[in-house]
Amino acid sequence: MRLHAPALSLSAPARIARAAVLLRSFAIQGSWNYRTLIGAGFGFALLPVLRARHRGDPAALREALERHTALFNSHPYLAPIALGAVVRLETAGEDAAIVERFKAAVRGPLGSLGDRLVWVGLRPVCLLFALALAFAGAPWWVPVLAFLLAYNAGHLFLRAWGYRLGLHEGRAVGERLRHSFIGPAQQVLAVAGAFLTGLLLPLAAAGEAFSGLLAQAERALPLPWMAAAVAAALLGLRFGGAVRLPIFLALAAFLLLGSLWRIIE
Amino acid sequence: MTLLPVALWGGLVGLDAASFPQIMISRPLVAATVTGLIAGRPADGLALGIVLEAFALLTLPVGAARYPESGTAAVAAAAAYLAAAPAGIEPALVLAAVVFALAWERVGGASVHLQRRLNERLVAGWTASRRRPDREIERRHLLAMVLDYLRGAAIAAGGAWIGALCLQWIGPRWGFGAGSPVGVLIVATAAVIAALLHLFGGWSQRRLAFLLGVLCGCTLLLFR
Repeated sequence: MRLHAPALSLSAPARIARAAVLLRSFAIQGSWNYRTLIGAGFGFALLPVLRARHRGDPAALREALERHTALFNSHPYLAPIALGAVVRLETAGEDAAIVERFKAAVRGPLGSLGDRLVWVGLRPVCLLFALALAFAGAPWWVPVLAFLLAYNAGHLFLRAWGYRLGLHEGRAVGERLRHSFIGPAQQVLAVAGAFLTGLLLPLAAAGEAFSGLLAQAERALPLPWMAAAVAAALLGLRFGGAVRLPIFLALAAFLLLGSLWRIIE
Repeated sequence: MTLLPVALWGGLVGLDAASFPQIMISRPLVAATVTGLIAGRPADGLALGIVLEAFALLTLPVGAARYPESGTAAVAAAAAYLAAAPAGIEPALVLAAVVFALAWERVGGASVHLQRRLNERLVAGWTASRRRPDREIERRHLLAMVLDYLRGAAIAAGGAWIGALCLQWIGPRWGFGAGSPVGVLIVATAAVIAALLHLFGGWSQRRLAFLLGVLCGCTLLLFR
């Protein structure tokens, strides 16, 4: 049994089909559903290569599509790793059962790796950086543009790197992922995120994000509010994301009271 | 501000959140600022986007979890705010817009859930079709994306309309002055930003980096 499929010399249409798979991977979650998760999107992305592989054999194409639109899940940015590997396996004419086993083996790790790297790492770090720029008084377009550029540099790199990795490594991609930059990058991003959280906290508690609103209220933030902000921050540190709902409810209650105050008086 | 540009932009934001292409124009920071830009007041959109982003950062789209949709809610709240407060920043209305967005994002989340249920039927039916299977999968996949765009547009425009009515009702009735909404928003933002430390490993693992950040933040404050 081969671990690596043999290197193939590619014709121009085959190269175009492979590039089309990468482009289609941007829409892999387009038909996300609770039954097959991104399964249909996986089949949609793979179609250019499957069409080329099974040209003139509709039964084989239908059979391949049935396999590749079945249950599959992955982080969307790391899905190109699986797509690249499957393109390589299908092009090399690997047995369908082997391809299925490969997909079943990678879908869990690609989901959890991507969640930790992107949703808990890259994205919040880029957003916190943008918020820091906003708190520092940068013009409105600077935080927005800085976030979009920094985040999408990482996003596009991940997709392109992952697809290339899958195409090159085939079924051995899992082994390569174990020794990739992803683990160390998660650590660096977590440290950067903690630093930026700490940086933003005093600025937020001092009302730097609301300089426009404070000017409207024609005063600096009074000390009791600052003390309340510090106390709230301690609660946030202690309870994490669990503070979100109580804070929303408290804000809603305050808003309701403020709106009805004149009637109550 | 008319509803058509809000709907068109809201559709893009809704589509970007999960379906295509996930370049994060659906983050409240971007979505609210661009809504402000459409109305000619990007800085006001940014002011709202900052608070909504701090809240949205605590929500993680992990696995098949159901979660609120913060992007379309940010578009709706920003459009509602800009309609209700035609000139300058109104602290009470900013607070009202934040509360409205945090409520409306649950409506958006429910609509995403319904869309995903609909997608189940859409993608399951291709095997029974007599058309070419590859064309049929493409058609159904793209149809799901079109429906997602329309869903986002409807949620953003509907939210903008309802939100503007709510804010216009609250504006003249507000009885606490301009200072207290600012204070309340600052307290809330400080709490949700502090809660973010849990994302990165919490106090036990990241206290050194966190405290170094606090030190830098305090130094910045001193020199401003």
